[in-house]
Amino acid sequence: MRELSLNVMDIAQNSISAGAKLIVIDVCEETKADRLTIRITDDGAGMTAEQAARVTDPFFTTRTTRKVGLGVPLFKMEAEMTGGSLSVASEKGKGTTVTATFVPSHVDMIPLGDINSTVLLLITCNEDRDFVFHHKLDSREFTLDTRELREVLGNEVRLNSPEVTQWIKSCLSEETQFIKEELTNEVFRGTSGD
Amino acid sequence: MTVKELAETLSLTVLAGKDSLNRPVTGGYTGDLLSWVMARLPENAAWLTVMGNINAVAVASLKDAACIILTDSAPLDEQARDKARELDLAVLTSRKNSYELGLKLAELLG
Repeated sequence: MRELSLNVMDIAQNSISAGAKLIVIDVCEETKADRLTIRITDDGAGMTAEQAARVTDPFFTTRTTRKVGLGVPLFKMEAEMTGGSLSVASEKGKGTTVTATFVPSHVDMIPLGDINSTVLLLITCNEDRDFVFHHKLDSREFTLDTRELREVLGNEVRLNSPEVTQWIKSCLSEETQFIKEELTNEVFRGTSGD
Repeated sequence: MTVKELAETLSLTVLAGKDSLNRPVTGGYTGDLLSWVMARLPENAAWLTVMGNINAVAVASLKDAACIILTDSAPLDEQARDKARELDLAVLTSRKNSYELGLKLAELLG
């Protein structure tokens, strides 16, 4: 896909189809190690070891409407094209974790894209599920947890109400700016001596 | 025009799917970003690409393409070849790049 965030959307949709109540999206960028790790963990139906081993095969799908399922296979291919990898760990009745690692400096690296919009869309379109979004960039990080939001807002306020949606959007944007600040500062420090 | 006639006219080598060479080809498409192609590949098209992996075979099969033509002599990996044979999906190869071969294909299909 043109943006990795679209893959995240796709994998999270699998979690929703698997009946997950809580979906954790973890994005970890390590500049010095030249590594991006994206992990999606859910508490959905899970799979047997045999099924989990086969989800990277495009001709394996639990869907009955068509014979081909390309979500996980494409995500894996995109990771491997940069020299990274993808793994799936799952337990029947417990949930599934999909972990993809990328080498961002590789020429075939697909940009992460607008991950905040993906998270916002997932939260607001799936009001009956909880999401935890954790974004780490080197030493800075932030977490958005819809369970905490619900606790503060109470049961009457819906997460997809315009005010809350706008608040989540601003929060994601501000926090992202915050974790990126250090990176910008470092660039300035690096060039100041030239 | 059939896949077989296309192969003969454009000097393509058949790598898989020998039994489906009589399929008609009614158009063409070029692209290597599989998710992009998946949304756009027309049915019965000859798909020009450098992606010779199992995911490409899955895309061609899903979209019911007439054949995959690997351009620039791009390799077809073993897993993809086995699957294409199993599905009887024609996979051909050319030394020409997608641009050069696309021009020839467009001339043929008019």
